[in-house]
Amino acid sequence: MTTATPERSPVPDVSGRLTVTRALSLLGGVPFLGWLLGGLAAVLAEYLFGLPLALALGLRRIPVLFGFEVMLKAPRYIPGTLVYLVLVYLIPAALVALATARVTDTLAARLLRSPALSMVVHLALLYASIHLWCGLSDYRYLVGRLALIAVMLTLSLNVVNGYMGEFSCSHPGFMALGAYTASVLTVLFFVEDDVFGAPLLPPALGPFFFPLALVAGGLVAALGALAVAIPSFRARGDYLGVITLAFTFVVKSLFENLEIVGGPRGFMNQPNWAGLPTVFAWTVVCIAVINNFVRSTLGKALNAVRDGEIAAEAMTVDTRRTKIVAFLFAAFWAGVAGGLFAHVVSYINPATFGVQKLAEVLAMVYFGGLNSVIGSIAGGLGLTLFSEALRPLEVWKWVIIPVLLVFVMANRPTGLIAFREFDVMKLLGPRRGRKEGSQNVSAQG
Amino acid sequence: MRRVFTALAVLAMAAALVSSGCAGRGAPPTIKIGVNAELTGDIPKVGESCKRAAQMWLADIEAAGGLEVGGKKYKVELFIEDNESKPESAAAAATKLITQDEVLAIVGPNASKVAIPAGEVCNNQKCPMISPWSTNPRTTKDRPWVFRACFLDDFQGPVVARFVTEEFNFTKAAVLYDVASDYPKGLAEFFKKAWEEIHGPGSVVAFESFVTKDRDFSAQLTKIIASGAEFLFTPQYYDEVPLILKQARELGFDKPVVGSDSWGSAELVKLAGPLSYGCFFSTHYAAAGAKGATKEFIDRFKAKYGEVPDDVAALTWDSMRIVEAAIKAAGKITGDLATDRKAVRDAMAAIKDFDGITGRMTFTEEGDPIKAAVIVKISNTGEFEFYKFVSPK
Repeated sequence: MTTATPERSPVPDVSGRLTVTRALSLLGGVPFLGWLLGGLAAVLAEYLFGLPLALALGLRRIPVLFGFEVMLKAPRYIPGTLVYLVLVYLIPAALVALATARVTDTLAARLLRSPALSMVVHLALLYASIHLWCGLSDYRYLVGRLALIAVMLTLSLNVVNGYMGEFSCSHPGFMALGAYTASVLTVLFFVEDDVFGAPLLPPALGPFFFPLALVAGGLVAALGALAVAIPSFRARGDYLGVITLAFTFVVKSLFENLEIVGGPRGFMNQPNWAGLPTVFAWTVVCIAVINNFVRSTLGKALNAVRDGEIAAEAMTVDTRRTKIVAFLFAAFWAGVAGGLFAHVVSYINPATFGVQKLAEVLAMVYFGGLNSVIGSIAGGLGLTLFSEALRPLEVWKWVIIPVLLVFVMANRPTGLIAFREFDVMKLLGPRRGRKEGSQNVSAQG
Repeated sequence: MRRVFTALAVLAMAAALVSSGCAGRGAPPTIKIGVNAELTGDIPKVGESCKRAAQMWLADIEAAGGLEVGGKKYKVELFIEDNESKPESAAAAATKLITQDEVLAIVGPNASKVAIPAGEVCNNQKCPMISPWSTNPRTTKDRPWVFRACFLDDFQGPVVARFVTEEFNFTKAAVLYDVASDYPKGLAEFFKKAWEEIHGPGSVVAFESFVTKDRDFSAQLTKIIASGAEFLFTPQYYDEVPLILKQARELGFDKPVVGSDSWGSAELVKLAGPLSYGCFFSTHYAAAGAKGATKEFIDRFKAKYGEVPDDVAALTWDSMRIVEAAIKAAGKITGDLATDRKAVRDAMAAIKDFDGITGRMTFTEEGDPIKAAVIVKISNTGEFEFYKFVSPK
């Protein structure tokens, strides 16, 4: 289980010779609020001066995905793109973060008196940055939403595979259940469709009912999860893995044979309601709920079941309840993510929710880190954006990404940021105050 | 700190000079065409053929010194994106082509499962798209900006049924298809419907299915043999057909096997060998025995890439030429992307009797071509030989 990692106190370099160390320790003094401001400054800089700067640097337009898409196709743009990245992202972000460090640190400490307010301020800043960044290009807007959905999927799978330590392969199945349920509901009620006919309710009401459709999708997925949760009482490890894999195939075959939702030809006409604010809000709720869940007593019971089921049982952990809750909970969020996915792409077919999707989500979980909310966020965002950025490489992409995974697994067998507790209050808090606080704690201990 | 910033500033200026020198500012406007192809994923051969045909078209344009529109020559640039055969990636690739690369029109994707979401993006963003190979009606349905270069499944099913009836006078059909894949399933059902319309209910004596990646069909084939069917229709892909043929012959099924346009890959004959000789299938064009422009295309493709172009290559070639014709017919390039895209779309919709290598095409209101199907016979040397034309009724 997680223990509080000992704080490395960033002692300012007295001699002043090692500027790099000093710069790093300076950066270490910037609170999260400062970084968010820095990020916002960078995005604003791009919003205001991005295009003229890109043109002045000889680029055709703003490099959308950190310049990968330009540099991989036309190496002659590499110097210009790199300079652009430094000028637009690195310098404004670092400058603003450093310049405001003192103010933001005090502010972060003040804000922390009301955790809810602190959360709202941080989220608002984060959303503003993402909104501006994605707003500059439809391509970013699409990729950003897909990346956030990937975070939800990764995180929910981590509940079972990381926290509870079972190797579950049923996530594409849960996702399909959620995607189809939400799609059928929205199309049935709010869209003129060949199969379902005229909308049953005025389409203008649609966006307000959309969350209900997503929740319904999540609930159906959770219901489906009973099919793997109950066998998990008796089977563990590889055997449960096979059962969960079978579940994915069952769901896929189910939709392939359900003519009413298009069979293998897929289901379309989903209304375009999953915009960036919607997806962002759901992702935030998902992260918050799952983070609280895994840090609760029930969440700790997951770890107990993983580390020793019999011992956990002996220590009064209700292992059956724990397993059921974990599977249903993970499935619910996978279902919601599936519903959002369907409304982002506006088309789903059973083949999407197959072994390939499973491999993607598993890779994100194990790349990001087991038993770690931060790791799942990193894994979901990182792999989605990276795989999108490498698209111009075509087949070579499928050489580079697996090699990268092998490399990460060889060096960090449990993933990049594994077994780390995600303490939101600590993250949002000031840096200096925290240092003193942790020193106090260690002095007391 | 200051030294670092100075260094960065110098670097920035140097880079700006270098790259603006390289980029060649002030060049004449270019016409950009996007290709959204399945270069990786489960059907990479399709993407490869598509890419090759598109590049061959580009080479032609370059050899001619550019594309002439309204008396002015424009340089043409091709943007080829990989859609990984995944719906969400196809949407992302289409969005990228439209908003980043600012293409005038998009050719592809080919498979329906990727063409449908990409079509949605293109239609919403108002960028003309033409899919060379997607046969699902929904790709173009209610989407004025989306076209295709091939006929649909609901045309091909009846074509096969009519051909077999006229050619062999058979009355009892058997069908073996992949229930988990959209194309075979759709075609199998359209065929069944057409066959039963001609020969009455129950004339499809065996309607057997399997699931993608199945490799043993003996159970289904045994049932088909027992049903007394006079021939087998199997609208499967080149990786499955050889296995089906082999297992059918081993089980003692000696009746004709008929296929659909998914058979039209050189790989099929390579894998099935003599087992495939004498089989018939319906498709978009026939390589052996081709004449005129079709033959010229085949010979050039063969010389360049060392293999006979499959139907995807031929249809991509036609799609590229339809785009070319539409751009020319649009008359001028204003430089304003929205105006130009609209002009190209309108010109494409107005195309009449386009003389393609896969047949003469006119688009319907839905953006689907009216064109004839070709029945191909696999010759005794393993070539796809033209057998006859079957026109739409």
